[in-house]
Amino acid sequence: MNQAVLVALGGVLQTLGLLAAAPLLKTAIRRMKARLQNRQGPPWRQGYYDLAKLLRKEPVRSETASWIYVAGPRVYFSAAVAATTLVPVVAAAAPLESAGGILLLVGTLALGRFALATAALDTGSPFGGMGASRDMTIAALAEPALMLGLFTSALAAGSLNLGVLVRSLLQHGVSFHPADLLAFAGLFIIVIAETGRIPVDNPATHLELTMIHEAMVLEYAGPDLALVEWASGVKELLYLTLLIDLLIPAGMATSAAPGALLLGAAAWAGKIAILAVAVTVTESVNAKLRLFRVPELVSVSLGLGFLALAIRFL
Amino acid sequence: MTGDILILSAAGMLVTAYLMVGQKALFTAIRLFAVQSLFLAIVAATMAISASRHELFVMAGLTVVLKAALIPWFLMRVIDRIGIHREIEPFLNVPASLLVCLGLTVVGYRVSTGFPEGTGGVSHHLIGVALSMLLIGLFLMVTRKKAITQILALLTVESAVFLVAVGVTSGMPFVVELGISFDVILAVLILGVLVHRIVDRFESMDVSRLSKLKG
Repeated sequence: MNQAVLVALGGVLQTLGLLAAAPLLKTAIRRMKARLQNRQGPPWRQGYYDLAKLLRKEPVRSETASWIYVAGPRVYFSAAVAATTLVPVVAAAAPLESAGGILLLVGTLALGRFALATAALDTGSPFGGMGASRDMTIAALAEPALMLGLFTSALAAGSLNLGVLVRSLLQHGVSFHPADLLAFAGLFIIVIAETGRIPVDNPATHLELTMIHEAMVLEYAGPDLALVEWASGVKELLYLTLLIDLLIPAGMATSAAPGALLLGAAAWAGKIAILAVAVTVTESVNAKLRLFRVPELVSVSLGLGFLALAIRFL
Repeated sequence: MTGDILILSAAGMLVTAYLMVGQKALFTAIRLFAVQSLFLAIVAATMAISASRHELFVMAGLTVVLKAALIPWFLMRVIDRIGIHREIEPFLNVPASLLVCLGLTVVGYRVSTGFPEGTGGVSHHLIGVALSMLLIGLFLMVTRKKAITQILALLTVESAVFLVAVGVTSGMPFVVELGISFDVILAVLILGVLVHRIVDRFESMDVSRLSKLKG
């Protein structure tokens, strides 16, 4: 009984922690990017200010919008929150790992994406439809690539369950296989594509021709928009955590001792910071790709995923 | 630890070779080659420390100076001068090329499993990566039209051979390795001049137009 309470508490804390850290990650990347461009950048709390501002506002919805439009951001947000319970973050166990593993995680994220794309189509505005169709085009390629990358690690550990996978990786200690790096490179491209970062999408623009994710959520305002933005932040943090779990799990807490958990949290924060720097640099040194080039980039990552899986077998 | 560094660097070389196939901008392809050379230098330096073959430090240094700095700089200058920044127009489109390279890598890796394991237990991976890169380099040479990309493909092949020589064998004589390094830089210089000549005559870097050259 005591064990179950502990696990439940850990799960709630983990989800709340990720929710709290998500705006900070977004601000940190924006700050670093600004610094690289010789600008000051927003203050550290800007992400929280933005969310608070949006949440205080009144939701403005189109007269033609149906319940689907209202449900979209809520399902998207809930899916992101549900997904956080499937991924080990600080300790080498996911709170709800008995519910499912990699496939459930990918499915949950796909559900959120589906809800948002459907909601974007709902009002019948051309931008929403365009954004939704673009987002789905990329997702159709990115999703199998994500699964291939995850399967490469799962094959090494012999389990599709993320908790079991991380524990087995920790047990065997650090030993690299060339497939690991191939999978990492493939997954990194997917993270860039899925979080709408620069070679694929520009999170800072509202130019008609180039936006993908922004076009899809263009009509949302107030609390609806806040939910979408927040969920996007959580998803980004989740993807980076996934990269850490699969390839550099060293330092994660294997027991519930406070010291181990603290160390695990510090290691996690440090590794997220390193990956955030990598994302920032990628975003700063690359130009945005033309939309028709994006499938090529994503197919590179699909190829890397296939290759990693093939090499794993040989 | 040594094995991990070797495997990671070798895998990094394979990733850059793969990204080069998926890449259409010339400048980025050149930068990828520079990164690949840095990985090669890491392999050489790691072998120098772990097997205490100190002449390999010189090779690592030469690789950094020549292949990660000088040759990329020279190629970028060539591109700047002839003013062709345009994208590479391959005979095969990117997804098809990637698929072919995937097959080539699997072949390279499958062949490498036949080699006996070395002392470090990493030679299987190093040979696999090197064979795959060799095949990818040859494939790039055949399917790309732009002369600059063909030079990059040639250099990729050379890096693959160097990877096997450093990582798996007990090493070539120092003089031979030095000679190869200078051969490479000379080849790039001559090819650079050749690219200028091609562009002068055809106003394009497209080598498929060379078949129109009749005496």
